[in-house]
Amino acid sequence: MIELFDVTKRFGEEAAVDAISLRVDSGELCALVGTSGCGKSTTLRMINRLIEHSDGEIHIDGQPVRRFKEDTLRRRIGYVIQSTGLFPHWTVARNIGLVPRLLKWSPERIESRVEELMTLLGLPHEAFADKYPDQLSGGQAQRVGVARALAADPDILLMDEPFGALDPITREALQDELRELQARLHKTIVFVTHDMDEALRLADKLVVMDAGRIVQQGTPLELLREPATPFVESMLGGDDRGLKETSLVRVSERMQPPGQTLNAKARVHRDATLRQALAVMFREHADQLTVFDDEDRPVGELSLQRLVGVTRHE
Amino acid sequence: MNEHGVQWRANRALRHWRLPLAWLVLLTALTVGMAELESVFRWVEADSRQVIYDRADFVTLLGRHLLVVSVASLLATLIGVSAAIAVTRHAGQDFLPLVAQIASMGQTFPPVAVLALAVPVLGFGTLPIIVALLLYGLLPIVRNTLAGLQGIEPSILEAARGMGMSGGQVLRQVELPLAAPVILAGIRTSVTVSIATAALGATVGASNLGDPIISGIVNGNTAYILQGALMIGLLALTVDSTFERLTVRRISR
Ligand SMILES: Nc1ncnc2c1ncn2[C@@H]1O[C@H](COP(=O)(O)OP(=O)(O)OP(=O)(O)O)[C@@H](O)[C@H]1O
Ligand SMILES: [Mg+2]
Repeated sequence: MIELFDVTKRFGEEAAVDAISLRVDSGELCALVGTSGCGKSTTLRMINRLIEHSDGEIHIDGQPVRRFKEDTLRRRIGYVIQSTGLFPHWTVARNIGLVPRLLKWSPERIESRVEELMTLLGLPHEAFADKYPDQLSGGQAQRVGVARALAADPDILLMDEPFGALDPITREALQDELRELQARLHKTIVFVTHDMDEALRLADKLVVMDAGRIVQQGTPLELLREPATPFVESMLGGDDRGLKETSLVRVSERMQPPGQTLNAKARVHRDATLRQALAVMFREHADQLTVFDDEDRPVGELSLQRLVGVTRHE
Repeated sequence: MNEHGVQWRANRALRHWRLPLAWLVLLTALTVGMAELESVFRWVEADSRQVIYDRADFVTLLGRHLLVVSVASLLATLIGVSAAIAVTRHAGQDFLPLVAQIASMGQTFPPVAVLALAVPVLGFGTLPIIVALLLYGLLPIVRNTLAGLQGIEPSILEAARGMGMSGGQVLRQVELPLAAPVILAGIRTSVTVSIATAALGATVGASNLGDPIISGIVNGNTAYILQGALMIGLLALTVDSTFERLTVRRISR
């Protein structure tokens, strides 16, 4: 668990981060979103003390971060940055094994851990272990960066625009992988991005920052449904935010029990998002879809009215 | 490793070091066999009674030359690299502008002037030339070490610190290895310049490969000058090509 209490960072006179309070519970992924220069990276780097905060308190699991030795603290916290920061003169395997080596694990334990992580991140050991960072694609390098951050199995992961430099397809693939990873590992993650769609896809908790302050925080759905200020609304894409909301809700949450008339073509999986359902309706010129499950059995139906929530009582 | 592998490696090493070895062989041949070339030098300097410099044998001169250059370069490397590291640390950053400026400006100061300034303080002999070489040789080393350390991508250092490496670990495991090619290039310049400049030592009473040259100038004997120049040139080429191979090896891992 990470807690920030009225944390301020001043560079000279200017406050880059201005009295923000925030709590990230264990196992939660918290995304910090905002325009460039609003203090996202500064906030992140105060948590592992790459930057010392000027005021307020930062706690990890109830303990003030200043109580730890800097190096000890950082070895307990995974850190991933956009430009990867991989050491160009070390092989992939050696890069990944960095923190375990700092923690003086035995060579055998480091080796097996490195193999385990490379498998976890889809980097075959034989093919990649002895490569150097300049022999990797952007996506592979970023996977190595994530593996390095996870190496000593830290509870906390700080990620600063980790997928920012990747093409859209690779970025989405890595987002999916991170989601799967997180479902298994339950790390406490603070994730900085200025891509709102990325934040909506990944975040349990969304924090919108502007000029060093937190403008609004809550679940993605809360923010989409009730943006607190015009700034948050515009960050969420203005009128487009309705469509973003459809990406967050599953068909199974809105469907009804199956009726008599089943449309064979206009059908959608129960785990699909409402956005995908909407796309099928549009394509098939249908206002009613059959919902099926993994065994291809019809388990319900979804009408356009239900999809847009005419009958929602919230 | 099998026999074939050993041989293959030996072959590769030989190919790799071919050029420095060639220069070394030439240098050695000239050092021990200068007298064999008497007829050649006779042709250059037909009028002189003597054409082969013999006030000291070339082995001794070469040895003294090497000693002066080695001591000066070793000290220059130690001091130069340490100074550049010190001013790029947090605690020493106040001195960075000063040191960087001296390092870039100092090269315009001629070594003869350094020597002229050193003699009144240190007297004649080997000491003033070592000091002169040391001071002059510091500059390229400091400049290149600074450039090497400052040229490292900031994100690499941020990651290193973010992963929990201590200052010393970052320096030894990340900064120095990454800056090594540039630092090595600075040392190479420094040593090569020192080899040539050390000849000036003969003017202040430090006997080395500069002796034949000075003696040749004084006595109007071109053959002496040629012999000193040849030796110094070959020594510089041997050392320089050795450094060149070292740098190449490092860069290509
Ligand atoms: N070391 C520093 N010294 C002085 N000012 C700084 C320093 N680091 C950051 N700042 C300033 O603090 C503010 C916040 O910077 P920060 O890097 O946190 O922004 P950010 O939200 O991460 O932006 P981006 O999306 O562009 O990465 C900026 O105005 C920046 O100029
Ligand atoms: Mg940033």
